Amino acid sequence: MIDIVGIIAEDFLNILLITLGGVLISLGVHLVPVGGAPAAMAQATGVGTGTVQLAAGAGLTGLVTAGYMMNVTDSMGLIIASGTVGAMIMISVTMLVGQWMYVYGVGCPAASAKVKYDPITKDRQDLYVSQGTEGHAIPTASFISGIIGAGLGGFGGSLIYYSLLSIENGLPEADFIGIASIFAIGLFFVNAVIPSYNIGGTIEGFHDPKFKRFPKAVFASFVATFLAAIMGVVAIGGM
Amino acid sequence: MSAGGGGGGAHAVIPQNNIIAFGIVGGLLGIYGAYFLVDIVGPYMSFLGALGAICGIVWGAAAVRRVANYGLGTGVPSIGMLALGIGIIATTFGLAVGGILGPIVALIFAGLIGLVVGFLANKVLNMGIPIMVQSMTEIAAAGAITIVGLSTSMIGTFMFFDEVVNGVVVAQGVASGVMTTGYIAVIFIAGGLAILHPYNANLGPDEKQDRTLACAFEKGAIAMIIAGIVATITPFASGSLTILIGVAIWYVSFSGFYKRVKRDAYMVTGAGLLPSKEELE
Repeated sequence: MIDIVGIIAEDFLNILLITLGGVLISLGVHLVPVGGAPAAMAQATGVGTGTVQLAAGAGLTGLVTAGYMMNVTDSMGLIIASGTVGAMIMISVTMLVGQWMYVYGVGCPAASAKVKYDPITKDRQDLYVSQGTEGHAIPTASFISGIIGAGLGGFGGSLIYYSLLSIENGLPEADFIGIASIFAIGLFFVNAVIPSYNIGGTIEGFHDPKFKRFPKAVFASFVATFLAAIMGVVAIGGM
Repeated sequence: MSAGGGGGGAHAVIPQNNIIAFGIVGGLLGIYGAYFLVDIVGPYMSFLGALGAICGIVWGAAAVRRVANYGLGTGVPSIGMLALGIGIIATTFGLAVGGILGPIVALIFAGLIGLVVGFLANKVLNMGIPIMVQSMTEIAAAGAITIVGLSTSMIGTFMFFDEVVNGVVVAQGVASGVMTTGYIAVIFIAGGLAILHPYNANLGPDEKQDRTLACAFEKGAIAMIIAGIVATITPFASGSLTILIGVAIWYVSFSGFYKRVKRDAYMVTGAGLLPSKEELE
């Protein structure tokens, strides 16, 4: 029988770091401009797909880059920085290519329907929003917001991955890495869906009024991740 | 955002409680049947695990149908990914600590996380869906059964660790056989799609329970065929029977699905070929 209390006490710092990672992912999702199905038809601002898909794309790239860095160094800072930058690059590429589609394919300018002036460039927005739509493409504020959000997500994801790999156990290394990665992916999906329910599926970025709801999702993610982190640490630590 | 039903309870011919019983009992019977019969009869009995997974998939799809009919606001796929995300966490935990009781521990803990997430969704995120707590519990537990079932059919056991006798691996465990090899990613997507896709494909005012569930059986059969293909290259499970039975289930369920589509459609008509350039002028 596994000494559950002993493992939890010994790895409590890792449980806290995993929970922090989950909370950061949850916060990060609020910053990514997700437009969902309406955006796919250029009828809402943001990238035309769901929160989960965007978060998964950025988060998994972050895990890959963090894992690659782990190959060559043990430094926590470098590994997490690598995961953060990987996720940021992935989301930037997604948004940039999406932007080309909207501008050259659909033929609409980038405009936000939630604010009158772009909070970063101060450009007028409402004049360029087509009638009957809620904005289209990815304005500068949303783009910057998305990069910050993916950075937070990648930071959280690689923090979870690093914390899981810091747990002492008797597993062969290859098995350990496999289990830690799939566990990190599971946590990533849970923490991508919770904020997605909070914002009702679409958000433009930090300038969107819905962004103010983030404390609720962060709290929900905190509770859910904490529970999952205990299970993960007990499972991996007991091996 | 995306459409998601009419915002009310879904009409159901088969009561949800029967489907829950089908999912849990069928799923566990399949998983334990595969585990014991692979030892007693032979590796080709591993197909039972995939049958258990199909029970879990149908249960999950029925629960997704019920809850997504209220309109989640985020599209149906999110809830399928949530189910498998929770399922992965609970399965790792359950199989690692549970030993022979692994699948049951995984099922219970998946339900527990699902319960907490469902409760948080309703109370903290104010989603206001009356059946959210029950449905999240069901969906997460169904995700766990799907993962354990497909893993069992891929490698012939649900034991987490390799069984080593005198330094020779006599049975591969889930850790090295499914997770390290990366087949878990296949399970994640094949199982997740099978749970989320049926309602996503059939939703609308004319959505019918039997048509959605026929689609779920069909998606489960595809997951079974994929598990069979993986099993052909793993040493302690045999894939050919899994693939054959999977193809048979797919054929029967797809015919059933097509029959129901024709039944529910206003009219099915052949559109013919595209007109040629001369005909258009």
